[in-house]
Amino acid sequence: MLHVACHRRFLALKAAALRLAAVTLGVLLLAAPTSACAQAAAVSPATAVPAVTAAPGTTKPAARAAPAAAANPTAPAAAGSAAPPASPAAEAATDTRGLDQDIQGLKKDVVDLNRDLFVLEEELLFPANTQVAVFISMDVGEFFALDTVTLKIDQKEVANYLYTPREVEALAKGGVHRLYLGNLKAGQHELVAFFSGQGPHERDYRRGATLKFQKGIGAKYLELKINDRQRRQQPEFEIKDWE
Amino acid sequence: MLALALATAAIVTSAATGYALLGREAPDFALHAVNGNNVRLSEHRGDVVVLSFWGSRCGQCRMQLAALDKSFKTYHSAGLQVFGVNVDDDQAGALEFAHTQKVGFPLLLDPQKAVARTYVVDNLPMTVLIDRGGAVRQVHRDFSSKFEPLYLQQLRVLLNE
Repeated sequence: MLHVACHRRFLALKAAALRLAAVTLGVLLLAAPTSACAQAAAVSPATAVPAVTAAPGTTKPAARAAPAAAANPTAPAAAGSAAPPASPAAEAATDTRGLDQDIQGLKKDVVDLNRDLFVLEEELLFPANTQVAVFISMDVGEFFALDTVTLKIDQKEVANYLYTPREVEALAKGGVHRLYLGNLKAGQHELVAFFSGQGPHERDYRRGATLKFQKGIGAKYLELKINDRQRRQQPEFEIKDWE
Repeated sequence: MLALALATAAIVTSAATGYALLGREAPDFALHAVNGNNVRLSEHRGDVVVLSFWGSRCGQCRMQLAALDKSFKTYHSAGLQVFGVNVDDDQAGALEFAHTQKVGFPLLLDPQKAVARTYVVDNLPMTVLIDRGGAVRQVHRDFSSKFEPLYLQQLRVLLNE
C-alpha cells in the first residue's frame, strides 16, 4: 500500500513538473486550458468557504450571498477576492499573444530562409561570371498582339515561350518577363529573337531581331522591347543591352 | 447494383494504378487553342481541371468530348475547366474535327506531342482530373457511357473540396 501511495505521489509530482516545464518552454496553448481548469477548481472551494463561514456570524449577508453562490459559483470569488480569478484569464490571453508572436516570428524566419536558399541556388546555378538573362517588355502593344517568342543564342534555340492573353495584358501594363536565364562564357555572342503574333489589321505577323554582344566577366542582361511606332503604324522590335 | 458499382470502381481504380503522376503536381504547359487563344495550365490553379486527350480518328473521343461538354456547362460556374488536348500528327484533320465537334471548352493542339509525352498518354481517350491545388487526382484510360456517373461523382468530390 505504501508503495502504491508513493508511486501515485511520484506520478503527480512528475505531471506537475512536466506541466511547469511545458509552461516555461512556451507551450502555452496546450497548458493554458488545463492550468486554468486546475486553478478554477482550486479557487472555487476556497471562495465557497468564506460564504459558508460568514453565514453563522452575519445572517443577512450570508442569506444574500448564499443564493448568489448557488446560482454562480464564480460570483463570490469575484466579490470576495477580485485579484486571483482575473489573473488566469489575463495570463492565458498574454500567453496566447506570446504564442502568436512566436508563430509570426517563425513564419518570417521560414520566408527569409526560403529567400536566402533561392538566392543561393541562383548563385550556384548561374554564377555572376557566366550569367546571361534575357527579359521582354512591351510598350502599348496596339499594333501587335504577342503570341510566341523564340530565342536563339549562337544558332541554338534556348527558349520558346507561348504567351497567354493574361500574360500579354500584364506586359502591356508595364510588366517585364524574364524569358531566359542561362550561362555563357566570355566572348562574342549572337542573340536572335523571333516574335510571332497578330500585327495591324489582325494579320499574322512574324519578325526577328538580332544583336551581337560581348560577354564580359560580369552578368549580362538583355531586354527585348516591343514598341509601337505611331508614324508607320507598325510595331517595332529591338534588343537592348544593359551595360 | 452494389456489385456493379464495386466492379466499375475496381475497373477505374485498376486503370488509375501505376500512373506515375497520380498524386503529384500536374506538369505545367502552354498550348495553342483552336479558337486562337493560348492556354497555360498554371493560370487555372484554383479550378478543377479536366484534361481530355483525344484524336480525330477516335470514335470514343467524340463521345467523351460530348459528355465532358455537358459536365462543363453544368459545373463551369462552380470552377470546372475542361481542356481537350489533340494529339494528331495531321493538324488539318484535328481542325476539321474541332470545327464539327461543337464544345464550349477550348480544344488545344499538341502537334509536337510534348504534353502528351509528359502526361504519359498511352491510350485514347485519356482523361486526367486535376484538383484545385494543381495535383493529379484521377486518371481514366478509356471511356464508356457506363462510367459517366462515376466520373461525375469524382468531379463533384473535387469541386466540393
